[in-house]
Amino acid sequence: MKIIVFIEQIVSTQVKLQGVDYFDSTRVSEDDLVINPSSKNALEGALKLKDQLGAEVTAVCVRGLKTNKALREAIAMGCTDAIEIADETIYTYDPLLLAKVYVEALGKIGEFDLVFLGVEEQSTGSYAIGAMLSEKLGLPSVLYAEELEVIDSGYKIGHVLEGGRKIVAMPSKGVISCSDSQYFTPRYTSMRGILTAKRAEIPKWTAADLGLSSSVVGEEATSLIEVSFSNIVLEKESYIIKEGEPEEKVENLLAKLKEDEIKLGA
Amino acid sequence: MVKTLVFGQIREDIVEENTLGVLNKLTEISGISEIIVALFGHQIKDEWITELGKHGASRVVSVKAPELEVYLSRPYVKAMLEVIEKTEPMLVIAAGTVYGEDLIPRLAVHHGVSCAQRINDISIVGDDLHFHTPVRDDQAMKVTRIEGTIKFATSRAGAFFVNENPAGGSPNVESFDVTFSEEDMLVKHIEIKKAERTVNLKDAKIIVAGGRGVGGKEQFQIIRELAEILGGEIGATRACTDVHWIEETYEIGQTGQSVSPDLYIAAGISGAPQHVSGIKAKTLIAINTDEGAAIFNFADYGIVGDLHVILPILKQKLQG
Repeated sequence: MKIIVFIEQIVSTQVKLQGVDYFDSTRVSEDDLVINPSSKNALEGALKLKDQLGAEVTAVCVRGLKTNKALREAIAMGCTDAIEIADETIYTYDPLLLAKVYVEALGKIGEFDLVFLGVEEQSTGSYAIGAMLSEKLGLPSVLYAEELEVIDSGYKIGHVLEGGRKIVAMPSKGVISCSDSQYFTPRYTSMRGILTAKRAEIPKWTAADLGLSSSVVGEEATSLIEVSFSNIVLEKESYIIKEGEPEEKVENLLAKLKEDEIKLGA
Repeated sequence: MVKTLVFGQIREDIVEENTLGVLNKLTEISGISEIIVALFGHQIKDEWITELGKHGASRVVSVKAPELEVYLSRPYVKAMLEVIEKTEPMLVIAAGTVYGEDLIPRLAVHHGVSCAQRINDISIVGDDLHFHTPVRDDQAMKVTRIEGTIKFATSRAGAFFVNENPAGGSPNVESFDVTFSEEDMLVKHIEIKKAERTVNLKDAKIIVAGGRGVGGKEQFQIIRELAEILGGEIGATRACTDVHWIEETYEIGQTGQSVSPDLYIAAGISGAPQHVSGIKAKTLIAINTDEGAAIFNFADYGIVGDLHVILPILKQKLQG
């Protein structure tokens, strides 16, 4: 059994870069780059099946500034191996172009049973890749999965639904996107995993290796054109207390609420 | 003039409120010439059509089939593609629910274009549409347009208000049949586990809510105690209800309850759009250790600090 996990790397949302500065790659250091939290949920989903069924799990990363770092972490978590697709010509802001790259990557990899992805890329809130990929592959899919159980015919999967959870059955070959749920809570890297990751040889593919040119997956090919990108100026005046001992902070808050005639309590 | 097709979503036997929000938004934009709603199901109820008309739909195109009883990607994509072919819209839009976000990108793939995701505004510029998507925890705004004659988008949940006094009329109704094969039904519906909603938070005036930062089931006690002192209710994010730190009835947000209290105290809540889209509070107070947490963008007042230290002090002062 072979599982492919497509992961993304983002700038940690803990990094104190506000607004558009956050997306300025010249302002971030390698330490700021982390696996997209949602992608980690996908890795966990695949690794649970590796533990349970002995699946082979390959992590693939296309989107990110130092994709090699993300893939070593994926191996340290327990992935069997990894493939880096590093090519500046690929315009990764368009989920459709990213889906095209994923389809060709899967073609080059060959046989596989399941594809796992995170539900969304958390810095931009982009979620379309899972649906687009499964549609392009023509494979059954379940998105927003929260729990997964192996059954005779494939998988029984619970996914997020407004007001509850929906349970469906999916055949054994398909695409699954994973939510931040208890079941998909990512494991930590292990010492042994870190050592394996250090030694691992990670093949590096370019768009050309996948038979793709910039006219197919480059910015010139996108149908999603950026018109503008700007900071949101908050109209709201917030009173945020950062300094002082805890007791002072609470007193400060209560005094300000009193001054503004905000009543605490019924 | 922009002809628009909206994916009509029904939840718990009524038209889903974000869908009504999208309709309301579209009726406010001059230049939108026609609002068509696609409605699928095993049964199509007259009251849904009436409701959609009241909120601005001028035409409802329905497909009735047992395979469409609950949302499943393939049959819904198939039916929707046929409606698109018949109605030839310039914009196809769905409210950003789990189903809307599943459907729209798939339709876009079939038309060879990308899609705009989680928009909170649309504008007509010349002959084209501009889509506004807030990113990076609502700190930046990305405006995009889509090349080609047909554009696909989902709204962000909670972005558009439902018109409380809609003044629309009755829409033209047409229906047609779509046939489905076994290939369309590879993913099978088993059941929907409705979250128990034993506590109604909709009318609560004061809510003290906890997020992942609370850290555990026992640690929720301080949230409960503070709520009791303030005479309010407790609330939580899905992250907390999923791990059973607290009963699922208390979930607030896109997949939980929508609330509009006078006072909302958010403790250990990061401020993910899925959670804050469910809150319309007069006053929001946030307590979080992470100064960069998105919740502070929505807060009127806040303390950067550990809720396990801050809340006991607050409790003591309020009692004292």
